[in-house]
Amino acid sequence: MHLPAGIRNFTYAEDMAIFRTRTQWVLLILLFVLLFTIPLFMGNYWLSIIIIIAITIIAALGLNLLTGYCGQLSIGHAGFIAVGAYTSAILTGQYEVPFLLGMLGGGLMAGLTGLLFGLPSLRVKGFYLAITTIAAQFIIMWVISQWGTMTGGFVGLTVPAAEILGFSFTSSTSKYYLVMTICVIAVFVAKNLARTRPGRAFVAIRDNDLAAQVMGINLFRYKLLAFFTGCFFAGIAGSLLAHCYYGFLNPEFFSIKESILYVGMIIIGGLGMTLGPIFGVVFIRLLERLLSLELVPFLESTITVFPSGWASGVTPMLFGLIIVLFLIIEPRGLAHRWNKFKNSYRLWPFSY
Amino acid sequence: MGKRSSRDITRRGFIKGTGAASLILFIGGVPLLISACGEKKETIKIGLSTPSTGAAAEKGQVLEHGNKDAIKYINEEKGGVGGYKIELVWMDNGYNAAAMVNNVNKFMDSRCVTFGCSSSAMMAAGMSVANQNGFSGLAVYGAPVIYRPPQHIYGQLPDYGDDFVVFAQYYKNHLWDGQGKPTVVMHLLNNSTGYGAYDGARAKAAEMGIELLEPVFEHTASTTSETTSLNSIRSLDPDILYIASTPKPSSVIIKNANELGMTGGRMKIACGHAGMTKALVDLAGADVSEGVYGLFPTVNWDDNVPGMAKVKEYCQRYHPADFGNMDYIASWCQSLIMVKAAELAIEAIGYESLSKGNQGAWKNFEDYGIKALNNYDVEGLQGPVSYTPGDNRLSKSLRVFQVQGGNINPVTDWIEAPVIEYEKLDWFGKI
Repeated sequence: MHLPAGIRNFTYAEDMAIFRTRTQWVLLILLFVLLFTIPLFMGNYWLSIIIIIAITIIAALGLNLLTGYCGQLSIGHAGFIAVGAYTSAILTGQYEVPFLLGMLGGGLMAGLTGLLFGLPSLRVKGFYLAITTIAAQFIIMWVISQWGTMTGGFVGLTVPAAEILGFSFTSSTSKYYLVMTICVIAVFVAKNLARTRPGRAFVAIRDNDLAAQVMGINLFRYKLLAFFTGCFFAGIAGSLLAHCYYGFLNPEFFSIKESILYVGMIIIGGLGMTLGPIFGVVFIRLLERLLSLELVPFLESTITVFPSGWASGVTPMLFGLIIVLFLIIEPRGLAHRWNKFKNSYRLWPFSY
Repeated sequence: MGKRSSRDITRRGFIKGTGAASLILFIGGVPLLISACGEKKETIKIGLSTPSTGAAAEKGQVLEHGNKDAIKYINEEKGGVGGYKIELVWMDNGYNAAAMVNNVNKFMDSRCVTFGCSSSAMMAAGMSVANQNGFSGLAVYGAPVIYRPPQHIYGQLPDYGDDFVVFAQYYKNHLWDGQGKPTVVMHLLNNSTGYGAYDGARAKAAEMGIELLEPVFEHTASTTSETTSLNSIRSLDPDILYIASTPKPSSVIIKNANELGMTGGRMKIACGHAGMTKALVDLAGADVSEGVYGLFPTVNWDDNVPGMAKVKEYCQRYHPADFGNMDYIASWCQSLIMVKAAELAIEAIGYESLSKGNQGAWKNFEDYGIKALNNYDVEGLQGPVSYTPGDNRLSKSLRVFQVQGGNINPVTDWIEAPVIEYEKLDWFGKI
């Protein structure tokens, strides 16, 4: 990590610290203050957008651990999110398990499912592994939709609101605080996981799995650990989606399009960096809303020469175009661009 | 260059200070700005969400047009409701569940008194937020799971389960001339549109003397061929092939059935009201869809009812491509019903209570508006609308139609679908 001029590390603790300077701590505290005062000045609509962003960040962090750090491409993430969602809904709805235990149960079940579908990673990699994870998506959704007696099938499943110690999270504000707290914890865990021994093993496997094996890293163990961890995060996100966002589950909510979107989010945000999924998720979710809510009505009302409804098709077209342009101009992601900005700010007026 | 003193502001110090000041201004100033913003007065806000893009766009756009044109008609020719203009807050949900949840929150924030949604799948996504906040909604098309148990979501029209029950009743009384029980195979869209009809079949088929053959077949909204499933169905040799789906997949199934020689014979094909529209005939072809039965809860375009003249006028003026599509009539009716409920509420408690657009206003709208609906005829365009305690379907009447010479013609008068207390059935929505 580049440090401002005049700051030096004298101990291992200082060297390993994520927030090293007073400025960084102040900014972090201000960020927490901002995050936890947002409900004071934002209505239900923006709170719901921030809630879905926070939940998506949790899921994207898991995918980033799996794909960005460990290099195991997964295009079935929405399926694992669905496992967590339905498991949590069933545990809390039918078996009256407390919400927190249900959420952990959802994470565990998603993690175990990830373990199962991660087994092929020991024999295949790259695009072949991607096909395997796509198969996982379809298999999981087929099981959920066919197992109607447990999941409600295509009719759907009503999910009880999250409840902790008798307090029910039904208002947008309470849901926001719950989701944001778990999101902050997830970011903290993901950041530190990447700095541990397993995290370094993931990076080694990503960079050259053969060399990693030669160095003594157990590929079997760490690849499966990556799948378990990544899918555990997905399961937690699924549980929050079920209890704090939809309140009702239907297999249609977890389509292959969502899985592809998650991969797009971590690529745009930046693979292999904890900040990457955060940037990617915020960018994609806000872009979705900007295009469909602002641009389309503006175009419809301004350009009337075309038949009514013509601008609705502009949204998916522009969405794809922006993503492609972004990948051409900044393929390493927003987090990389942010790091470059920070470094140039610190070094200015010198260029290096 | 002079020596810099410790008092001089460095570039970094300047940026830090500016950033801190901006943040403080933002946190402190935004609430002030929001509270200072005035809002339009003298309007009643109604929220509306249609799937105008995405997998159901062929229905969503027509539904959007019908809604908007009806509101235009009410504002321009009737002067609004009770002297107040209707302000429509329309949002496209793109057939995306997450977007629908955002939309419902937006409607609540925009101080809408109620909201409408055309798609049952999207209403299922948004209903939890609405129910938790006591924000009433009106679904054009719905599945039993949306209305049972009754909460704050109401159905403008009978649900998909009612379609099956009414058709089964019609078939037994008018088309069945065999011995024993007629058999039916269901081909379902893989969401609440399809499985809502299945719920109705499971609830009532045995009681009506109809044998429901298993397995049920399902398809996706993007299906391009159902030949495999239809071959299996042909081997079952059912009396009825019931398709509960939207127009595009329904047309694929009917075309494939025609290719396999399954149409025009003993087996009757019936479609639920989600699929029985002009779009079905256009997509499948008039020849191929000839003789197909279907249910629809509104009149068709040739019916001489009081409201039809204005429907035709506005459709031909603003959206001529939608002419002949019964979805347009359905969404036109949805707007009329929401406005009627607003009118009743304004008469009962006054404009001020509703204009606040908060939880109190929503409760007032529901109690004095929706629940006060009693035999409202919707200008003759659909079955009469009344609220019955314990039944959130505001209209329970359907008609059976048949495709004849490329037109969708009614073959029955209004048939009332019975109430089915699904929540008392041990298999309904339970895990």
